[in-house]
Amino acid sequence: MRSTVPLVLTFLVGLFMVGEYFIPHWGYHVITQLLLEWGLILAAAAFLLGLFNLIQVNLPKVLNREEDWGYKLVMLISLAGTLVVGFWGNTGRLNPGEAYKWLFDFVFVPLNATMFALLAFYIASAAFRAFRARNLEATVLLVAAIIVMIARVPLGESLPLVGEKLPQFMNWIMDVPNIAARRAIFIGAALGAVSTGLRVILGIERSHLGAD
Amino acid sequence: MKLDTLVKFQHMDRRWIFLGMGLAILLPMLFPVNLPFKVDERVQSLYDAVEEIPAGSTVFISADFDPASRPELEPFFRANLHHLLRKDVKFVSATLWPSAPPLVLPIFEELTAEYGKEYGKDWAFLGFKDGKELAIKAIGENIPETFPQDIKGNKVEDLEVMRGFKQAKDFAMIINVSAGFPGTREYVLQIQGQYDLSIASATTAVSGPDYIPFYKAGQLNGLSAGMPGSAQYEKLVFPDGPPDGVRLLATQSVNVLNVGHLFIIVLIVLGNVAFLVTRQAEEQA
Amino acid sequence: MKHLLLLALAALLAVAPASAAELTVEAPPDNDGLNLDLSWEEANDPAGWGVLRTETGSDDWTLLKVLTGDARSLSDKVTTDVWEHPPAESYDYQLVALRTVPDLADVEDEAAAVLAAGSVAATATGKPKAAKLRTGMKSKNYGPLLMLLIIIAVGVMMQKFAADVRSGKEVFIRRIPGIDAIEEGIGRATEMGKPILYVPGIDELQDIQTIASMLILGQVSQKVAEYQSDIIVSCCIPIVREVSDEVVRAGYYQAGYPDAYNPRNTRFISSEQFAFCAGTNGIIYREQPATNIYLGRFFAESLILAETGFVNKSIQIAGTAEATQLPFFIAACDYTLIGEELFAVSAYLSRDPRLVSSLKASDWVKLFVVICLLVGTLLTTFGFPIINTLFSISGG
Repeated sequence: MRSTVPLVLTFLVGLFMVGEYFIPHWGYHVITQLLLEWGLILAAAAFLLGLFNLIQVNLPKVLNREEDWGYKLVMLISLAGTLVVGFWGNTGRLNPGEAYKWLFDFVFVPLNATMFALLAFYIASAAFRAFRARNLEATVLLVAAIIVMIARVPLGESLPLVGEKLPQFMNWIMDVPNIAARRAIFIGAALGAVSTGLRVILGIERSHLGAD
Repeated sequence: MKLDTLVKFQHMDRRWIFLGMGLAILLPMLFPVNLPFKVDERVQSLYDAVEEIPAGSTVFISADFDPASRPELEPFFRANLHHLLRKDVKFVSATLWPSAPPLVLPIFEELTAEYGKEYGKDWAFLGFKDGKELAIKAIGENIPETFPQDIKGNKVEDLEVMRGFKQAKDFAMIINVSAGFPGTREYVLQIQGQYDLSIASATTAVSGPDYIPFYKAGQLNGLSAGMPGSAQYEKLVFPDGPPDGVRLLATQSVNVLNVGHLFIIVLIVLGNVAFLVTRQAEEQA
Repeated sequence: MKHLLLLALAALLAVAPASAAELTVEAPPDNDGLNLDLSWEEANDPAGWGVLRTETGSDDWTLLKVLTGDARSLSDKVTTDVWEHPPAESYDYQLVALRTVPDLADVEDEAAAVLAAGSVAATATGKPKAAKLRTGMKSKNYGPLLMLLIIIAVGVMMQKFAADVRSGKEVFIRRIPGIDAIEEGIGRATEMGKPILYVPGIDELQDIQTIASMLILGQVSQKVAEYQSDIIVSCCIPIVREVSDEVVRAGYYQAGYPDAYNPRNTRFISSEQFAFCAGTNGIIYREQPATNIYLGRFFAESLILAETGFVNKSIQIAGTAEATQLPFFIAACDYTLIGEELFAVSAYLSRDPRLVSSLKASDWVKLFVVICLLVGTLLTTFGFPIINTLFSISGG
């Protein structure tokens, strides 16, 4: 019973949602839209569960003074502080001068930007490590990467002799082999998605349903 | 050069690479070179499409970026606003990213004040809407219903700038400044074909190649990718240089891109030279 | 006097509204029953056109749109809120040829203002009609029909190949090193006494890549339980965390070690992309997993996660259909599953006949698509875009 009901529900709802594409009637869409909105509401409600999970995982480590408990304490204080400040600020919390706005501008924005900025350094180290001409395919990848990198910036256009042609060649690499490969990945992934979707709808895949 | 030096070079501590990258970023900011650059056809197409919008028309701007993508997209965002405002084009904006409103609202207020535009009459910001693809579909169908109130709490139906504009197709153009998901792809897949919308997109460099097929198929009437795209757009909007008080952030940052890319290329080339020399020596041994 | 009269007549004729136009109102093909397409013929362009609409039997006209004088068509969505205003059975339309384009700012009765500024050139009635089934036959865009046939074909082939496998027929699946490495990675982690880190991507549960990742997590957690190792699942979306919790618990249960499962190992970090990335990096640095598995939909955080794992000397297996992140995973991870390989993992790992048969079915469809691409390219090159028509999809 515990696994039969979810399987039947999955089949019926899955079939219904697939039918939306083939049955254009507005009445049908009203129901599918309702189901999608229920999904959004469920996902929003799950945020509370996420909050409890954060506290459930980290608070015992702080109380028991486990390894790195200090970081967890900082995380819990930040969580509580942001919640309180956000609720306190209410609808005007984004107005200039508000504490929540201050937190956003001087804590969230710099931290977010810093994490993204790490990519510049990590790309350099990953590229240095990975782009080695070990075989023919790796060499082609290496050469294409160098051409695209140099042609994307004004430096490439300013190079003597090749500066004029380099951006054109780069555009050809991006427009022809790159797009061809991406389309192949899209088509393969789309077919894989259809297959996976059908497996879930038909109840062939059940591991997402939990223990019997 | 000794073989073990070459081997050490290939496996050097990545902190040396980070230091080199840090210098490659810092030095061009302190000592800019300002090499000239050409405008890509897709950016030119975007500029021309905006240029053709008649004065007095209204566009819809979907500002979907966050602090992480700000360096790439904010320069385009600002230049585009200058472009629209000096042509007396009105705009209504909204966002699908929760961290966007505090970023974009101050920019709107700063630039509209500069051009003497009035909130509610010449522009409006409807705020953030959750729902990703659902929200985009709703924007395609009925904007006042999707956003009953704007960011300031006014009824959207009562805003003068929204009069006669109920659906996305009522606007002269949709301009999507998109850092990822949800963004340009979702606009194209969900509503562009259905309503035959005119959409222009500015996106991050990593997503740009993904949207080239949309541009080629005519589903986008222009595409600006990453910081180079933003710099090219700035060049088109301010061909004689920026007016007082306006900084061309992307154009300045392109100096950093130049040196940064060059650093990575030199590193890769040297790494491969070391790799090939050591491999040859090992094969001979 | 005669001349004055003639002049006045000429002036009137010059600005006179157009003679009666022919207005047709039709439901577009494959539509949802909320759309009507208006089109009209008229030799001369007036100053503008006003289009008015009312429900049949009512006198309450509303102005739909004021169009330029050269316009000859309009698409009308009869209602945008089916709950408050469900569509009526039929609608009457009036096409007004305008002498001057009226200024409608601050006008309460726009329809009356438009009528006053012109004269009715044509009227028509239209009945919104929803298509029963969207096949594209009427609009000659056969894409939806083809898609329906492909879905049915995949389903039928899946059953057929599953029956073949059950009857003892051998099914060949090519070796995918990345998937083999998952089991090796679990073994390595067990030997080293370190956990396995599993990251199911950062997208919502309804994304197909996240669903595929959940299916794989079930298989992986069962293997982890059999090896009596630990698995840490780092989630970006709270509801994904809840489903992961159930899936991992089920995996331990299937392996026969229900008590070994520690719910605190399935963690929600943050729904903010880079906060999640920082938190997961923290897990990698502190808990030092021997194997990192990244399967699902990733964005900019992919390289940061992979590089941190590299520094930690973990074996890293990544899989995504997100083409923009594949280069980063390929550069930084030991094994990468590209696109459809992600969707093949659960079948590959389990070797369940029904799952393997679905792989075979999608491969046959892929072959069909490749043949269509090649044949279609050739035919289109020589001026016969038949295959294009077969696959085209109307706006709907």
